[in-house]
Amino acid sequence: MRTLLDAPSKVEKRPVMGRSGPRLKRSQREALAAYLFILPDALGLAIFVALPMLFSLSLGFFSVNGFGGFRFVGLANYQRMLIDPLFRQSLWVTFVYVLILVPALYVAGLGLALLVNRPMPFVGVFRSMFFVPNVVSLVVVALTWQVMLVDKVGFINRIFEFFGVSGYSWLGDPNITLYSILFVTVWFLMGYYMIIFLSGLQEIPREYYDAARIDGAGPAATFFRITLPLLRPTSFFVLLVSLVSAVSGSQAFDLIYIMTRGGPDNSTSLVIFYIYQQAFQFNNYGYAAAMASFLVLILLIVTFILFAVTKGGRFHFT
Amino acid sequence: MKPSSQSEVTSSVVSSVTPTENPVPNSALSNLTRRELIIGGGKVAVAAAVTSLFSPFNIYVKAATPKSLSFWQFYGPGGGSKMQDQWFQDMVKSWNSSHDVKVDLLYVPNQEYMNGSKLQTAFASGQGPDIFIISPGDFLRYYNGGVLVDLSQYMEDAAKKDFFDTVMETRVVDGKIYGLPMEVEPMAMYYSHKAFTDAKLSEADVPKSWDQLIEVSKKLTKKNQFGCLFETGPGYYQNFTWYPFLWQGGGDMVTPEGNKSAFNSPGAAQALKFWQDTIKQNVAPRNELGGGGGDVVGNMVAGYCAIQNLGIWGVSALREGAKGFEYGVFPCPTPPNGKPKSVLGGWSFVANAKSKDPETAAKFCVWALGSMSDDSIGRVVDWCIKAKSDISPRKSALDKATQLGGYSDGAMKVFKDEVFPTGRGEPRVPPEVYKAVSDAIQACQLGGANPEQQAAEASQNIDAYLAGYSGAPLK
Amino acid sequence: MPEPTAQIHAARPSRNVFRRLGPILLFCFTAVLAVLTVSPLLWMICASLKPGDETFSPNMLPQHWTLENFQYVFTASPFWRYMINSFFVAGTITVIALWFHSMAGFALARLKFPGRELIFLIIFSTFLVSLPVIIVPLFILVRQMGMVNSYAGLIIPAIFNAFGIFLLRQFYIAIPQELQEAAVIDGASYFRIYWSVMLPLSRPILAALAVFFFLANWNAFIWPLTITNDRNLWVVQIAIASFHQQYSSSWNYIMAGSAIIAVPTLLLFFIFQRQLVESIKTSGLK
Repeated sequence: MRTLLDAPSKVEKRPVMGRSGPRLKRSQREALAAYLFILPDALGLAIFVALPMLFSLSLGFFSVNGFGGFRFVGLANYQRMLIDPLFRQSLWVTFVYVLILVPALYVAGLGLALLVNRPMPFVGVFRSMFFVPNVVSLVVVALTWQVMLVDKVGFINRIFEFFGVSGYSWLGDPNITLYSILFVTVWFLMGYYMIIFLSGLQEIPREYYDAARIDGAGPAATFFRITLPLLRPTSFFVLLVSLVSAVSGSQAFDLIYIMTRGGPDNSTSLVIFYIYQQAFQFNNYGYAAAMASFLVLILLIVTFILFAVTKGGRFHFT
Repeated sequence: MKPSSQSEVTSSVVSSVTPTENPVPNSALSNLTRRELIIGGGKVAVAAAVTSLFSPFNIYVKAATPKSLSFWQFYGPGGGSKMQDQWFQDMVKSWNSSHDVKVDLLYVPNQEYMNGSKLQTAFASGQGPDIFIISPGDFLRYYNGGVLVDLSQYMEDAAKKDFFDTVMETRVVDGKIYGLPMEVEPMAMYYSHKAFTDAKLSEADVPKSWDQLIEVSKKLTKKNQFGCLFETGPGYYQNFTWYPFLWQGGGDMVTPEGNKSAFNSPGAAQALKFWQDTIKQNVAPRNELGGGGGDVVGNMVAGYCAIQNLGIWGVSALREGAKGFEYGVFPCPTPPNGKPKSVLGGWSFVANAKSKDPETAAKFCVWALGSMSDDSIGRVVDWCIKAKSDISPRKSALDKATQLGGYSDGAMKVFKDEVFPTGRGEPRVPPEVYKAVSDAIQACQLGGANPEQQAAEASQNIDAYLAGYSGAPLK
Repeated sequence: MPEPTAQIHAARPSRNVFRRLGPILLFCFTAVLAVLTVSPLLWMICASLKPGDETFSPNMLPQHWTLENFQYVFTASPFWRYMINSFFVAGTITVIALWFHSMAGFALARLKFPGRELIFLIIFSTFLVSLPVIIVPLFILVRQMGMVNSYAGLIIPAIFNAFGIFLLRQFYIAIPQELQEAAVIDGASYFRIYWSVMLPLSRPILAALAVFFFLANWNAFIWPLTITNDRNLWVVQIAIASFHQQYSSSWNYIMAGSAIIAVPTLLLFFIFQRQLVESIKTSGLK
């Protein structure tokens, strides 16, 4: 069965809103209704997101100092990107970050959802407990973890010490810090994806599992043959959203801004943080805009590939 | 790079409003060839069209008589310290009771003020505050952006001479004063009496040299405590705290003329190595508690470290946040053959040249901190010894504060008599130079990189940038 | 990863032992994991009950219990006012956003019209834009619309968000075609289909989205800070940040404030997560 796109073809004609004037065909009526439904959001997004973004992108061709001075510089900002070692490093950091975060969130979110998607005493309480990190603002999350991860006396180091391991600097060693940030990000976000997976799991019709049981399928087989395939729409959504937010650094930005400021030794300088730094600390708005357009371009490509592979994220159950 | 008139966008709005605009220096732009500039010039039409899109960036409406001026800072109303909040409110109340154009305080949370986007967003859209406060680290960014008013035109000569030269150096361009400091904040070392006693050390063991500091710190390092602490987070503040160690051995960031790097020197390399050693020897942490290395209550008082590299503000922070905590202060230790040095920080009042009423804004700054009236001097005294704990930037106020006993007890006495005289103003450098130095410090301190190599690399980056720099001289 | 379906499929006799022990083990595992997950927040709450000089002490539990931090938060600043602001702003955004997004999501998923794919892609591409990248032009725009320093400036730009549209579209795509067809045959208008068929069906997803939106806006910081100058318009996150000082952060107050502002969102989630499950049961999707 194809999905919803095949609108019902055999529909009787009905009068439109009982008004005089030329009667709209059903398809026209449907289109008109659709445009009206979309209008408020489309208008708002155009004004408050697209327009500023276009402004921002064209800034990439200017040298802008943020005090009213600006000059047209052509592609100079883009040329600078090619030779800037800090930009290159931030790209690498972002790459590693995304490569680890997206699968980690998928596994953690789905794992938790499976764990709490069964009858169990206090299951509601457990769900809330897994979700609760997401309730706290990122500022507080960052401050709290900063103290917990501090050298020697931090909570985490005390636990490790208990097991005879000591001397690690979770936020001070350039080889470790990015992974600490990743850990905190997963901790913060896993409950969120758990909820999304949970609603996906609960939409899977019970009969499939019953049938599998009758067939004598083991847990692993059931998981891989039923749960996972039927979760495809949810999986697509989770992968897409976590990928986009990982690349654009929505959560990482706040954490890095407070916990590491891109350090130590630039080891957590994600592209989004470097853009912010160039714009608001170094007053190179033009250069920042050029890097931002590059980032958006990457996102567009990634999204396009995801959409192409999944045919618009459209899935069906049968 | 030379301002390139052919590619300058000259819409009437821009030129009428920013007549003395300094183009933003930009290291990649310095590589632009003449040919590219001409191509750029050929695209003026395109540029002008885009300009009109961005015209909001350049709108500063000259209103006839503005009713009030906004004063952005991070103390009040509603800030964390009651006394400092009160000082700001009293000052504004006093001005408003005697002037037609009123001043409104606008509080911006501290971390946001220094690292956030609120100020920058406001300036970028022509809505910057009329009066605000900056540190020398930020000076060139604002000065080169053309938003600072010459305050000296509203000052008496006696008042100009009343400020210490070392303090004013980095706030003056061509003999004109662009910022009036409210405070002078030298850096030194604090140590905890309890930690010393526990390690069976006495006042005689207070380290004087770098080697001694590391040796003493080893004795003070315990399971739950580090011997000493230097700032570890990258940023202007870290550079600031590192300068004394750079200068002690004769190192510097730029030559006295300010147009070439002086960073590739033994002085710089040994200072980089010194901080690296504190980490390698495990006597200093790789990160801090609380608000960072400048937060004494969160670190030394909490028992995280025994010795902390810290500025004079620690005195009032301890007074307010840790009553009864016993501590001592000593000047930063020196390398072999090195000279004692400190760096003098502190924030200053500045007026926005693109304000609706820059003249009144400037007059407010001068009235508040830079006139010879008893009021103005008394205000500086109050700030430096009552609301906060600072050295006064004005000779008259320092004398008065000394008479009032503000510098007669332990820590403040050390700061005034031993540290302040060895001080040099916090340097003003453009962000690109700051970043080059910051990367070198981070790479050596936490990344374990080779100090000589990092100094040379940073020096190259500084030179590459300065070759195309055209703003006010670095100091 | 824990094996989800173990329990359901443990029907064979050889698995009887596992069938008995399995749930208990899983329960213990879940409980331990849940406690570990919240432990950093327990630390935060403990810190808010400690006097200032104890904040960084190694003990998790306070040596001297105190409510002074909470008292301070409410007396030193008009914290109630900030909470009401936050509540009003986040609540309004959530309600309007859910309404708009559900309409758009419905149209994009269930109605046929020229340019549908393109419009969806364009809408989705706005999801790729993050705030730091557009904050300067956005501020200029909002200023020119006269919304600086107003509730409108806090609320309106925050409503529009492609994420919600996308999620709802995904949801509506999965709803069986027959429900809509039946309504069409009954002669219902498109608005009626949306209002009487689709909205009731989407209660679970709307509940989840309501939690997400409310949270995101309750915790928003940079935009509210940028757009407001008047202290009467402050939201809680700005108030919390104001406890963070240059040279000595009042951690005990930050933690107390955080604990206070986490409570409403937590309550909201707890209530909604029950409804979420309930409404899934009654949504006719099974």
